[in-house]
Amino acid sequence: MVVLCTVLAAPLVVVLWSLVDPAGDVWRQMWETRLPGMIRDTLTLVAAVLTGTLVLGTGLAWLVTAYDFPLRRVVGWVLVAPLAMPGYVLGMVWLNTLSDPLGARGVRSIWVCAAVLTFTLYPYVYLFARAAFREQSGHAVAAARSLGCSPARAFWRVTLPTARPSLAAGAALVAMEVLTDIGTVRMFNVSTIADGVIRVWFDNGDRDAATEIAVLLVGAAVLLITAERLLRGRARYASTTGSLPTPPQRLSPLGSAGALLAAATVITVAIALPVRRLVLWAQEAERNDQTATVAGDLGYHLGNTLRIAGAATATCIVAGIALTMVVRRRGRPGRVLGRLCTIGYAVPGPVVAIGTVVLLTTLERHGLLPGGMLTVGTFAALIYALTVRFVAAGYQGTDSSMAKIPPQVVASARTLGARPWRVATRVELPLARAGVLAAAALIAVDTVKELPITLLLRPFGRDTLSVWVWQATSQSLWSQAALPSLAILAVGMVPVAVLLYALERGAEVVS
Amino acid sequence: MERDPDVVTVYTGRHYGIEDVFDQFTEETGIKVRFTSGSDPELRERLVAEGDNSPADIYMTADAANIDLAATAGVLRAIDSPVLEAAIPEDLRSADDYWFGLSERARVVMYSTERVTDPPVTYAEVGDPMWNGRLCMRPSTLPYMQSLTAALIDQFGEDDTRAMVESWVANDPLYIDSDVDIIKAIDKGDCDVAIANTYYLGQIQAENPDIAVAISWPDQDTRGAHVNVSAAGITANAPNPTGAQQLIEWLATDGNGTFANSNYEYPANPEVTESPIVAAWGDFVANTGAVRRLGELNSTAVDLLSDAGYK
Repeated sequence: MVVLCTVLAAPLVVVLWSLVDPAGDVWRQMWETRLPGMIRDTLTLVAAVLTGTLVLGTGLAWLVTAYDFPLRRVVGWVLVAPLAMPGYVLGMVWLNTLSDPLGARGVRSIWVCAAVLTFTLYPYVYLFARAAFREQSGHAVAAARSLGCSPARAFWRVTLPTARPSLAAGAALVAMEVLTDIGTVRMFNVSTIADGVIRVWFDNGDRDAATEIAVLLVGAAVLLITAERLLRGRARYASTTGSLPTPPQRLSPLGSAGALLAAATVITVAIALPVRRLVLWAQEAERNDQTATVAGDLGYHLGNTLRIAGAATATCIVAGIALTMVVRRRGRPGRVLGRLCTIGYAVPGPVVAIGTVVLLTTLERHGLLPGGMLTVGTFAALIYALTVRFVAAGYQGTDSSMAKIPPQVVASARTLGARPWRVATRVELPLARAGVLAAAALIAVDTVKELPITLLLRPFGRDTLSVWVWQATSQSLWSQAALPSLAILAVGMVPVAVLLYALERGAEVVS
Repeated sequence: MERDPDVVTVYTGRHYGIEDVFDQFTEETGIKVRFTSGSDPELRERLVAEGDNSPADIYMTADAANIDLAATAGVLRAIDSPVLEAAIPEDLRSADDYWFGLSERARVVMYSTERVTDPPVTYAEVGDPMWNGRLCMRPSTLPYMQSLTAALIDQFGEDDTRAMVESWVANDPLYIDSDVDIIKAIDKGDCDVAIANTYYLGQIQAENPDIAVAISWPDQDTRGAHVNVSAAGITANAPNPTGAQQLIEWLATDGNGTFANSNYEYPANPEVTESPIVAAWGDFVANTGAVRRLGELNSTAVDLLSDAGYK
């Protein structure tokens, strides 16, 4: 546990080390100038995006699980698709599209930024909510209905409270994504704390001060984790019987039309219009013969993206499962520690990247890295940094599915003489496999979209699709960013499909 | 790190047309160039963090301040090159030969030729209340904005510069994080006046010669328009310093035209002529004297921008 935790948290510890000697001047100066605005913008943005994603994610999940209407299954799948859309791509598209109606000034607002983030992040809540609604025992809802509850009342009184742990997990993911976003907020002139960290670090060249501000983010993450714990409370919702969920209620033709319209609107904003715009841009780039960079063509960037995302996902899942296993044997303190050592999720990518560089070069200088392995600029170093950043999703995914396994099942296995390791591999993991696969898919999508760490740590000859997008957008060459953006979307759809498949299968096994 | 004498490794914060230039160098010399791009300060931080292990031979920036800060941080080495000393004017290279400017760009006032007849002719006039709500600016995260401020501090002192920046802020500028988008915003009518780099206008004019945006050269009666450089230096631990020096020397001489003109910049080598689009803007007084001081004044400039409420 200690070893695993140290490995996962070391780059951040290195960064946080600067706190040993805090610089009061920087704080005073920051407090007198930008800090209050940064805190205000951050809180506003997080609150707005959380509200948006919770309403959208929970509402849509409820729509496709509790009601039946034509194309319901397809709608249920398609609503997950925006997961593959990077915020910086959706932001780029809407910034350009809305510049005309809203004006260049009007479009650069915290609310448009919040909307863009909501439409890229709501699938996190949607997925968690849908899984929760599906995994729920139908008995409780059936009982409520038989006692005279309307479907709506049963939703508020039974379904929603029961889904609380999952909603909290989804919301926590969303909040962390917002707290650490840099690309999208900058596009819309929103000065968040993460943006401030990067400003102080790279503009003032003051790593120590930047780190001290980054601590605010880590603090916010700890608060979030605590909030999630409190929301979960001591409640444990597990069902012992393999009952089927309540059959969805058939909607009237009018209701069906409404449901389809709602889903279609979301998809239009989040995927359809942006894709259309990207295709138009890509055609323009094609006409101008700008569909490759000097490093290579689509195939080259695609190959690198797949290699990096694949390796990072595998590492995150292995580390996440290992962590869950050791943590679960240690009760509450173990869990707190488990959360703390996956705090990389709360730290902006560039901070993780530089922490990794400082750590690895220090180790190398002292001859502690075997034979040039893991040195900066290697594939392994990049994967390590990505793991530090994204392992939380693997850990949280595994942990929250395991929490749903009825304790009796584990107890029975132990009573029958199985050792903890055997229980874990033969009972707990198979039962949690829907959650593990979902986590793997989330990490895969995240690493395909990831930019700052890949940009800073990619080895030579390993330019990814996201790096290509950055190279084009940093020069405002929107049309040249279109093809790699579409490719990121297409690649991201694969884990999304895997995830849906896993959820379909998982639902049978777990609920 | 591999030490292949036929490969030079470049960390570059300058992106425009860099590939074609390196390809041409490889064709002429047989030395391959591999490069990784990023923002100037991020690459500098990576160099500092990598220390002895850095695979980089050359650090190339689009701004004098960042490369000078890298020299101060000890990650560059002095270059002893009569070729470079002959090719690059003294103002455009570091005092102790840690870096050499390869091309110049000016950060100037641009305005709408349709709606503005009397554009600002100094940086201070951009703060005139008549531009309230009509101004577009880049956020201060941009090294060019920091270096412009540093050059103004060099010329006018901190107090006057602060007053100037505050007068810009008082005009409620629309901050847009892209010079290209700023110029297009002037064309579309979202703002009338802005401060932007010359070569972005060149890029746009190459595609659309009739864009209704023109340059107003600022401070022509005093020290001149603020200029900055794309510059290169050899890293302290360069695995291939010989090849690195060869590349920089080539970029300052035979390759200087391709390097500067492919991006509509002014060649740093006075012997090389600029592209027709750039030549058409006419002559101007350039404040080259401040280029060497941009690094040391950078942190003062960043703090001043922040204090003045500049986004």
